[in-house]
Amino acid sequence: MHKTLKKYFPVFVVPVLAAFLVSFLIPFVMGIYLSFTEFRTVDASEWVGIKNYISIFTQDKTFLNSLWLTVKFTVVSILSINIIAFSIALLLTRKLRGTDFFRTVFFMPNLIGGIVLGHIWSLIINGILGFFGVDITYDPSYGFWGLVVLMNWQMIGYMMIIYIAGLQNIPEHINEAAAIDGASPLRTLFSITIPMVMPSVTICTFLTLTNSFKLFDQNLALNGKSAETSLLALDIYKTFYDHTGLRLAEWHGIGQAKAVIFFLLVAVIAFVQLRATERKEIEQ
Amino acid sequence: MKTRKRIFDSSVYAVLIILSAVFLSPVFVILMNSVKSNFYISDEPFSFPRGEKFVGFENFVKGFVQSDFLRAFINSAFITVLSVAGIVVLTAMAAWYIVRVKNRFTKILYYLFTFSMIVPFQMVMYTMTFLAFELDLNSVLGIVFIYLGFGSGLSVFMFSGFIKSIPTEIEEAAVIDGCDPIRTFFMIVFPILKPTAITVAILNAMWVWNDYLLPYLVLGSGENRTLPVAVQMALTGGYGNKDMGALMAMLVLAILPIIIFYLFCQKYIIRGVVAGAVKG
Amino acid sequence: MKKRILSILLALTVVTGVLAACNRTKPAPDGNSGTTVTEIRYLNFKPEIAEVYKRISEAYEKETGVRLIVETAASGTYESTLTARMATDEAPTIFQINGPIGYASWADYCADLSGTELYKHLTDKSLAITSGGRVYGIPYVVEGYGIIYNKAILSKYFSLPNRATPYNSVDEINSFAALKAVVEDMTARKSELGIDGVFASTSLKTGEDWRWQTHLMNIPVTLEFLDKKIDLTGDGYKNIEFTYSDNFKNIFDLYINNSTADKTKLGTIDVTASMAEFALGKCAMVQNGNWGASQILGVSGNKVAADDIGFLPIYMGTKGEENLGICIGTENFICINSKATDAQQKAAADFLWWLFGSETGKKYVSDELGYIAPFDTFSENETPDDPLAREVMRWMNMEGITNIPWNFTVFPSQNYKDSLGTALLRYAQGQMGWDEVKKHAVNEWKNEFGA
Repeated sequence: MHKTLKKYFPVFVVPVLAAFLVSFLIPFVMGIYLSFTEFRTVDASEWVGIKNYISIFTQDKTFLNSLWLTVKFTVVSILSINIIAFSIALLLTRKLRGTDFFRTVFFMPNLIGGIVLGHIWSLIINGILGFFGVDITYDPSYGFWGLVVLMNWQMIGYMMIIYIAGLQNIPEHINEAAAIDGASPLRTLFSITIPMVMPSVTICTFLTLTNSFKLFDQNLALNGKSAETSLLALDIYKTFYDHTGLRLAEWHGIGQAKAVIFFLLVAVIAFVQLRATERKEIEQ
Repeated sequence: MKTRKRIFDSSVYAVLIILSAVFLSPVFVILMNSVKSNFYISDEPFSFPRGEKFVGFENFVKGFVQSDFLRAFINSAFITVLSVAGIVVLTAMAAWYIVRVKNRFTKILYYLFTFSMIVPFQMVMYTMTFLAFELDLNSVLGIVFIYLGFGSGLSVFMFSGFIKSIPTEIEEAAVIDGCDPIRTFFMIVFPILKPTAITVAILNAMWVWNDYLLPYLVLGSGENRTLPVAVQMALTGGYGNKDMGALMAMLVLAILPIIIFYLFCQKYIIRGVVAGAVKG
Repeated sequence: MKKRILSILLALTVVTGVLAACNRTKPAPDGNSGTTVTEIRYLNFKPEIAEVYKRISEAYEKETGVRLIVETAASGTYESTLTARMATDEAPTIFQINGPIGYASWADYCADLSGTELYKHLTDKSLAITSGGRVYGIPYVVEGYGIIYNKAILSKYFSLPNRATPYNSVDEINSFAALKAVVEDMTARKSELGIDGVFASTSLKTGEDWRWQTHLMNIPVTLEFLDKKIDLTGDGYKNIEFTYSDNFKNIFDLYINNSTADKTKLGTIDVTASMAEFALGKCAMVQNGNWGASQILGVSGNKVAADDIGFLPIYMGTKGEENLGICIGTENFICINSKATDAQQKAAADFLWWLFGSETGKKYVSDELGYIAPFDTFSENETPDDPLAREVMRWMNMEGITNIPWNFTVFPSQNYKDSLGTALLRYAQGQMGWDEVKKHAVNEWKNEFGA
């Protein structure tokens, strides 16, 4: 079996591998290399060592700001989305009639693309702020909280579904036993329900974490390109494409170096996630 | 006890109904504004389309004609269908090969594909765009190839996970019966993979249909533009005229197909998304 | 079975895609001018004229058999699109630069145009971008901007018996003091005049703020350069002091204090909305250029007659401003890609000469593109007939008036303009003091140039 299949490498693997090389692997390696250069275009680069990485912190003033903003945004999103999604999941697992309808409604926003979502919310948020005579640009924090609301609207349904699956996995008799023992509903929630759905909590936490950390479309559509409200992904994009002019090559290098740092941060998150889920699996 | 439960249940319903209203209202606002006259949209987004504010389907007609919206729609549909079909079939084949032929090379491949899942797009944004142009992949067909490459990480990973759990006996029996690997794959293995294939298809379809930056960089905002690019271009910047009414109609048309698709295939979509989340 | 065939077909499609990508045909080698060129590429700068170029391309192909492929960069993305395309074999044969800075970036790609017909017919040779006696960019359109006003509303004001200013017509407004007096008195009487404000709302949404961070900013920068005798060939432009910042503040304050919109809501207003206010007669003035004519006359429900539109200089209280006119210049210099084959370069030059020299081409230029083209091939009656273009020409020929050139082409980068736009927004909202705006404008300029 292995031997016959092995000969079929060109049929089975080459198409995907070719695409993978062209759209990911080669650009990735080039990207690492170019972060140590200044380049107008990819084929006209000049080696500058770690200068770009230094410039990020000395010359460029936007990176640290957007990193901090991204961290804040991520923390707020994780907390709000998970608390609300878990609460809704609790309500929807009470075996009431019409649960399916509510589930359908809450999940729906998740399917709408980030750009479209951003513009929908831009209209609504500005409409509401309009009553107070201001708009979303009036204060960067309006843009920040607007994005949090948008993100909640989009992600709650998704996380809710995962929590529902987790809650439904709790054996019926455990809850019944708790009720017979006279445990209060609150007590049951904290001592039984939440510990039992911890795997779902881990999954949801990391999903909101990576999604918020890498957010781009929604940020661009809702907040435009203002530096005060740009998260990391948008900041990198702007470094690449908006510093046209005499120092284009320099900015391209800085942009690519920022992208490498961004990648390393995401990689660390993913690594922590892997360890966390592995440990959970061993415990169970 | 019973009445207490009833009161509790009705308050739960009340909460759920209010929440549903909150969740549905943005879509409702867009629908309402899509039949409103141009000048009443930004200024009073929450007013009802009554009297002179109501323009019927005029915005939809304008949205279609003016922005060449239909073209973007067709581009998006074409790219999504081809990319998803390509990803599902080809990554399933690759995953089967990688799992069944065990050597150092396939092991490295597996790790590379898995690794690609965690790399953010900005990391390869500039260089990938360059390469896409260099290789003439900046066309509606070319971007399908790029999506195959980008989608392969998650898809190979998910298929591999499932294939590992399938016993090899059936496949071996087929080979003994004289099936070559291609026949074996399509007649025996692929049908078994169906649940994962549906998940992979749904995850990729949602991603490709809604994706903005990749098609914007590779296809630009010209005649090859996709739906999200058309929406973004129509709503930002430009010295030209901007027709809010037509834009609202565009937003409605952009989300309508997804909602219809969702209502019909809800079961699969929710299951697929959850499976993807748990594995990814 | 059906599924299987489909999947095999798909696999084949993808594989052939790969092969096709590997086998792509290289463009004809340099110097091979004997072969006929059938394709040239043009990277268009203005999204609003993309449609016209489609028709031009069809007409040109019909007449000559040469296919003109026009790609349009989205607003604000020309440089980045050009950067992305240049390195590929879909590089544009014809592209444009915005002035000396653009030339510095693209010098490697600019072919010498001194031998072209187009250059020979350029009316004012000093407008071209030259270096070392060679010509690298030819301006193909002259544009002007200033304060567009509605004559009907102003005449209504000047006929009010109880008005508080001594002026009797627009022509008497020739200084900031006069402008301010009239505008503020008009604001006081806006219900009598039937307007919501004198100026259209100051669009400060990101991407929609170029009227202020670029166009308005041009005036103080240009005046400063004149004072310091900085020309654009040296290094002097890499620093500014913003000496005329108070003057900028004068006019900017006038705009935001007398407009149709609240100062706190300017961050989400786009240019289209403010042009629509003017078109619908909700305001009397709006700062914009002659390209805005279609946005006034083309809006449905338009209440402004073509004859009622005029240009007023942007007065901001500088010395001798009564002799200054509107801002006239260009940021559109056409270039031919020197990396293209000789044959392609020639085909590109032929096309340009067809567009600005032939009867068919000229018709598109003056009637559909609405360009005031600076070539002697255009006679008096071949100029665009929209009212604002005519106003630009009137100011160009006005005696004793110096019009202000466009120097915003040396502004450091898009990022500079964007950040200045944000600072102006913060100022308008009352969240940033003017001193801070000034400091920001000066420091960021320096920072972006790396001087």
